[in-house]
Amino acid sequence: MPELTYREAVRDALSRAMRADDDVFIMGEDIAEMGGSMGVTQGMLAEFGPDRVRNTPISEMAIVGAGIGAAMQGMRPVVEIMYEDFTTLAMEQIVNQAAKHRYMSGGQLRVPLTVRTQGGAGWSPGAQHAQQVEAWFVHVPGLKVVFASTPSDVRGLLWSSIYDDNTVIFFEHRTLYPLKEDVSEELEPIPLGQARVHREGEDVTVIATGRLVHEALSAAAEAEKDGVSVEVVDPRTLQPLDEETLVASVKKTNRCVVAHEAVVRGGFGAEVTAVIQHQAFDWLDAPIERVGSKFTPIPFAPVMENFVVPHADDVLDAIRRTVGRSG
Amino acid sequence: MAEQVILPRLGQGMESGTIIRWLKSEGDEVAKGEPLYELDTDKVTQEVEADVGGVLLRILVPEGEVPVGTPVAFLGEPGEDVPEVETAPAAAPAEPAPEPVAVSAEQPQRVEERPSDVSADGRIKASPLARRIARERGIDLASLSGTGPEGRIVAEDVERAAVAGPPAARTAGPVRAGAVERVELTSLRRTVARRMTEAWAAPAFQIVMSADMTRAQALRAQLLERHPDERPTVTDVLTKVCAVALMRHREVNALYAGDAIELQPSANVGIAVATERGLIVPVIQGCEGLTVAQIASARADLVTRARDGKLQTADLEGGTFTISNLGMYGVEQFVAVLNPPQAAILAVGAIEERAVARAGELVARPMMTMTLTCDHRTIDGATAADFLRTVKEFLEEPGLTL
Repeated sequence: MPELTYREAVRDALSRAMRADDDVFIMGEDIAEMGGSMGVTQGMLAEFGPDRVRNTPISEMAIVGAGIGAAMQGMRPVVEIMYEDFTTLAMEQIVNQAAKHRYMSGGQLRVPLTVRTQGGAGWSPGAQHAQQVEAWFVHVPGLKVVFASTPSDVRGLLWSSIYDDNTVIFFEHRTLYPLKEDVSEELEPIPLGQARVHREGEDVTVIATGRLVHEALSAAAEAEKDGVSVEVVDPRTLQPLDEETLVASVKKTNRCVVAHEAVVRGGFGAEVTAVIQHQAFDWLDAPIERVGSKFTPIPFAPVMENFVVPHADDVLDAIRRTVGRSG
Repeated sequence: MAEQVILPRLGQGMESGTIIRWLKSEGDEVAKGEPLYELDTDKVTQEVEADVGGVLLRILVPEGEVPVGTPVAFLGEPGEDVPEVETAPAAAPAEPAPEPVAVSAEQPQRVEERPSDVSADGRIKASPLARRIARERGIDLASLSGTGPEGRIVAEDVERAAVAGPPAARTAGPVRAGAVERVELTSLRRTVARRMTEAWAAPAFQIVMSADMTRAQALRAQLLERHPDERPTVTDVLTKVCAVALMRHREVNALYAGDAIELQPSANVGIAVATERGLIVPVIQGCEGLTVAQIASARADLVTRARDGKLQTADLEGGTFTISNLGMYGVEQFVAVLNPPQAAILAVGAIEERAVARAGELVARPMMTMTLTCDHRTIDGATAADFLRTVKEFLEEPGLTL
């Protein structure tokens, strides 16, 4: 079984799709010779040439717009937005064009575009390069949203996103690129809308995305020492959401913590919390706890950044609150 | 700022409570959850715990009956000023109230939980899961104590109560050999224990008689035909018979009041009802003036409401005599524990065919054995025997009640 980093797994999925299918190509800022600012596409120019590994001007709106045009013409483009913070500049194209054409054309047009982007704190990138904005896109009908947390997930989900006939906003987390995992020789596509249970438990379910999946797993190991059995579930696809798996887990454990790096207020966790409370109301034995960043721009200073974004101990505190006893 | 201690609503239908005694004195340090005072409600006496910790600054109601929601004391920091509060006029210290919970010696006792932390508006804090389990198992959340954050009743609390109760015990899986299940005594359990121990201290005696139920059963069959809606039972016939007998032997229809014996003007017969929440004794008032069908109708209503936990205080008050029937369980005869201050309680066994001698011949007859437990402070053996003989005669020849 080969071991791949998260970064290599993304590259592997892109390369395999491009080898398999001439319709797949990639576009983005500095992705060709430089191999992308995160090094994800290193070496791909040599293999696939400048027609299929295309550098673009510094214009997110143009990048996504070109991708939409190519997608509507039958290609399966994968465009890269260097930081998810910069999706703001492509919002018109993503929200009003990519998400709408299939609907407004009565299904005559399709936009099988994948918008890859990355972000997140943990390495002091500052307020404009550290955000987690996945919740914005979950709010838009017509988009699918993926947030992968491990090498095998990122590979299988990216493949499925490329071959999905709808626009997929595909989130990667900056701090996960070096993360290693054994992956299968053959790429196994992971269907969109299927959660992954990372760890089974009896007392509380932690529903976590992105980096927080790993923080939740650390917290679960810690909680186990206190005799608290924690189930960790990663939805992986935020839209469509695998409600069935999440609800079933909470019905089993009767308690729920929702954790992501994005700010708590209006975060994706709010949606998950609403789903759980509605579908598992009579199974809840404690209020659903939410873990996320404090409601502030992400500070540049490492010590302050560390204070603002959530870590394993924040998840652990939330776990303890849900199973808490007043004595 | 000093915190008011409010008389809590501990169950549905509770309008007021009687403070029996304070377990803490003014100036005492009180921890959150520590028992503060003993409260007598219509159902039971229990210890009420402090919602917050602090020093007991002032007791506003030393004892007596006050409405739910009345401030009864102040807790706060040492030396803190206490706001002036118009003290609710407490009624005179309550007489030892008639205890409506009759407990017979053989009846399995369920274990009650302490009352939950109930907010001043009477709302019980419980998780949705706890509420669902309680609903499914017919457990009254008000009887439970929450161990979750801020005193919330969580599933585990309900599960514990369910395991402790007899319905769950019947369905519980096999207990591992050697495993001892330790169920902590709850406040209500302690109260039941105290009351029954007190009842046990009364000089009680028992007399036993068996009645040939041939005619009572025939009467019941006729009544059933005439009153298909009310569906009178043999117990209803027995209730009526006892009421008539009590009117003829008023010294049995009496309450022991310490310095007097109070002969009651009406036969208010309590019927012991087993519910999932435990034994409860609703009272059918004025049975001497009711037909059997009316008694059946009143009994059905009380039993239904008892099982649904919807009895009102009034349903449990005023009893002058109690009937406990375990015949449906196949019990042949048993001894009930007195239900003070009532003078007597009748324990009724199953009607079963027994060989009896009639005019020198052995014949099979439907027989029912009754055991009357009496408080010797109130009645003597001969009085009791007279009464029980009347009951027996009425059952054997119902026409004699006319």
